[in-house]
Amino acid sequence: MEDKECNSGGFMRLLSEESCSSTVTGESCVNYQTEIFNQLPSSLARRRTHHHHQDRGTIETSHPVEKHPELAGEARDRASTQPIRSLPVCMQRKREARDLRHLQTRTVGRWESWKRNQRINRKRLGEQVGEAMSRLLPWSSTLHTIEGRFGVGVKAYFVFLRYLVYLNLLLCLVIGGTILIPTVVYDSDADRGLLRFEGNDSVLDFFVGSGFLERSPVFYGFYARSSLDLLCLNTPLLFLLGTLTVLILSLVMVVRRTVVGYKHTWLLGNRYNIHMSYKVFCGWDFCIQDPEVADLKLSFIRNELKLYLEEERFQQREARRTLGQWARLYFLRGLLHFLVLVLLGGAFCLIYHATKASQAERSGDYLILTVLFQYLPPIVITLVNFFLPHVFRHISSFEDYSITTQVNATLVRSIFLKLASLGMYLFFLFQNSQQDCWENQFGKEMYKLAVFDFLACFCNTFFIAYPRKWLVDRYPSSWLARLSGKQHFLIPFNVLDLVYSQTVTWVGLFYCPMLPFIETVKLMAIFYIKKLTVLQCCVPAQRMFRASSSSVLFHFMLLLGLIMAVITLGSNLHKFEPSSSCGPFVGSATVFNVTAVCVDSLPGPAQSTLRYLSSEAFVLPVILAQIVVLTSFESRRRANGKAIERLKDMLVMSTSDKHFLLKQHTLSLRRQKKTFKAPTTVSGTREGSPTTMKDPSAGIGEDSHIAQLKDPSAQPTGDDIKIDRGL
Amino acid sequence: MGNKQTIFTDEQLDAYQDCTFFTRKEILRLHGRYHELAPHLVPMDYTNEPDVTIPLALIVSMPELNENPFRNRIVESFSEDGAGNLSFNDFVDMFSVLSETAPRELKAIYAFKIYDFNVDNFLCKEDLEKTLNKLTREELSPEEVTLVCEKAIEEADLDGDSKLSFADFENMITRAPDFLSTFHIRI
Repeated sequence: MEDKECNSGGFMRLLSEESCSSTVTGESCVNYQTEIFNQLPSSLARRRTHHHHQDRGTIETSHPVEKHPELAGEARDRASTQPIRSLPVCMQRKREARDLRHLQTRTVGRWESWKRNQRINRKRLGEQVGEAMSRLLPWSSTLHTIEGRFGVGVKAYFVFLRYLVYLNLLLCLVIGGTILIPTVVYDSDADRGLLRFEGNDSVLDFFVGSGFLERSPVFYGFYARSSLDLLCLNTPLLFLLGTLTVLILSLVMVVRRTVVGYKHTWLLGNRYNIHMSYKVFCGWDFCIQDPEVADLKLSFIRNELKLYLEEERFQQREARRTLGQWARLYFLRGLLHFLVLVLLGGAFCLIYHATKASQAERSGDYLILTVLFQYLPPIVITLVNFFLPHVFRHISSFEDYSITTQVNATLVRSIFLKLASLGMYLFFLFQNSQQDCWENQFGKEMYKLAVFDFLACFCNTFFIAYPRKWLVDRYPSSWLARLSGKQHFLIPFNVLDLVYSQTVTWVGLFYCPMLPFIETVKLMAIFYIKKLTVLQCCVPAQRMFRASSSSVLFHFMLLLGLIMAVITLGSNLHKFEPSSSCGPFVGSATVFNVTAVCVDSLPGPAQSTLRYLSSEAFVLPVILAQIVVLTSFESRRRANGKAIERLKDMLVMSTSDKHFLLKQHTLSLRRQKKTFKAPTTVSGTREGSPTTMKDPSAGIGEDSHIAQLKDPSAQPTGDDIKIDRGL
Repeated sequence: MGNKQTIFTDEQLDAYQDCTFFTRKEILRLHGRYHELAPHLVPMDYTNEPDVTIPLALIVSMPELNENPFRNRIVESFSEDGAGNLSFNDFVDMFSVLSETAPRELKAIYAFKIYDFNVDNFLCKEDLEKTLNKLTREELSPEEVTLVCEKAIEEADLDGDSKLSFADFENMITRAPDFLSTFHIRI
């Protein structure tokens, strides 16, 4: 490969570029590589399937190319089958290609362009309709604003809230249809109105649930056996069925949402974790035109990168811990776990004493004091649930986990606290439940919990959040302001509150059938209150945790709450007799008497089928079969995982094989060219200049071929191409 | 088909329609936008294909491009002379590639060009570092930038030469779920 420039006797050989260059540079290799890249079967297949999605209203066809034999082989394929507008060349070249194709085919003209216009208009119309429909979804403009200012995490909270509103509306519908309407329509007792005001009713009844509320459809005691009294269609049976339907519906919806989230985030997200390159190359949204939105997007990208860097640093720090440090860390963690358990135990004791105190009989006190004592358990529970999660948050910062693990650990402890305190409270309630009409009592307690939860949220916003903001704005240098700092919207704790209130609804559903209605109204009010808090008082968080694993936890916690509600209800229905003075199940030994009566009235075969279905002889084999099916799914999943790993390795290996072979091929091509080359008449513009900035196709080879189309004097190129093909 | 316009001949409009992803109306609208960027430079009558280019500084002042950290590179990639001066052909070409209907492969080709700052047909570490600095407005420290770039290259590089060729880039970008939705400009 030495220079052959020879300047003897006044004639100079014309030399081409390649013969002057002495090394096989990457650039010219790339040219050759990408030429043959486009001939590979995989590229051709991809282009063919791509054309099926392309707009077919244009002129290109797979016209016979025998008319133009001087077209290079693969340029032939591409030039005649690929739509012109998809060619990665400048406009001038595209028009030349188009003119060339015009020579080949006749233009179809107006009809095709009209069809294409119509197709594009239809697509645009579809998009606009979709956009209008999504704007019809309630509160979507609010969510958009919130996402713009605070990011995806806070928006996810409001989306979760909206989902709970939908769920509760659905439950309202079911309960209204099966419980409320039949009772109202078939009311046997004519003078028993929906709302009766008597002598000593007062506004406080609204908070405590006594008085006029006690006699209204809100509580269990209102419902009775009405005039609808067929064997298999009576009010008690509808009541039971309504409750069961509601619980099953909730179970289905929550499980579905949990599973979908689990699939998306855990199964796909962790394995195919190509985050960094996506973030760098696809991070910026090119549609952004507003400077504020641009700033926010930049800060989010920066935060995500910082999050990744922090996780990396944490992992490095973890890898460098010595044995002594590990021992110390584990000791510290054990101590802190013990501290958490002590705190939880203390909280439960407090709740027990509060329950006992509120159930003790009091007389002769002021009305307000009575109400306060009645509200003591909810107050204590709410206070405990307000302070302890923050304590847990501070504790977990000492445990030296990664940020995501810290947040999840705090979440797990907080949800355990919330659900366990609720469970404890219910347990203590049932310990002395042998009063008359104990169902109403229980319903009242649940009602009080729900109302107080709403009051706590209200007070939190107007008596804590706003004053804090006012303080930080007006006196930013005072010690109190510096202690409290700027307010952030703590997503995990707010979601926990939502989960808690939904659990209370599910638990109290049977004894207070109007709870879903109350819950719907309450959730809508909470939406607006929280919106005010976020938009007026909070600033966007500077640090963010990886919210995807937490969102799976949120849905799982909702499921836990539902399971707890189901277990509570089931044990209640089995253990305790329905009270004999109120409710639709008066007179039956258990609640399920009504179903037994209905089943008894069915024809013989149906009865025996039902009895068989609920006997052990059927249930046990079903359970065994389910275990077998689950085992088979699990082993298939493991085999699939191994296959995926193997395929990934194979992919990487075959790609590097391909590149290696291409490089070899390129080298041998170049060697061939040097042996076959005539010393003259080679135009220097054969390859185009690889560093032309305008044409990306310089790296792809298209430009060189179109240049050949233009240059009829490039005869040797034809020969060379033939040689290529001969290879 | 509407009122007779005198900016382009019918044949020119047909050619534009075939060579880009725009309809006739959109091309006329684009010409309006091009004209209002430099009304004294750009003639209203394009029937004889005047050779007019608008400099980079005016193009990147468009609201669609103004907030984009890569606006200079985008305009340079589509300009004939590489310095960012766009003729109307280049202007239409640019927005055609960045429109919603352009196919993924075409966008991948131009995305590669845009991110290739030193125009050597490879995305080397320096290219990635410049991309990242533009993306974060230089708020990350140099070590952090290096760490992120190394991880990005390690994820996408298939042939082990510690830089990304077009094949590596295309392979990575076809698996990105939101490349098509982020890499488009609506005009």
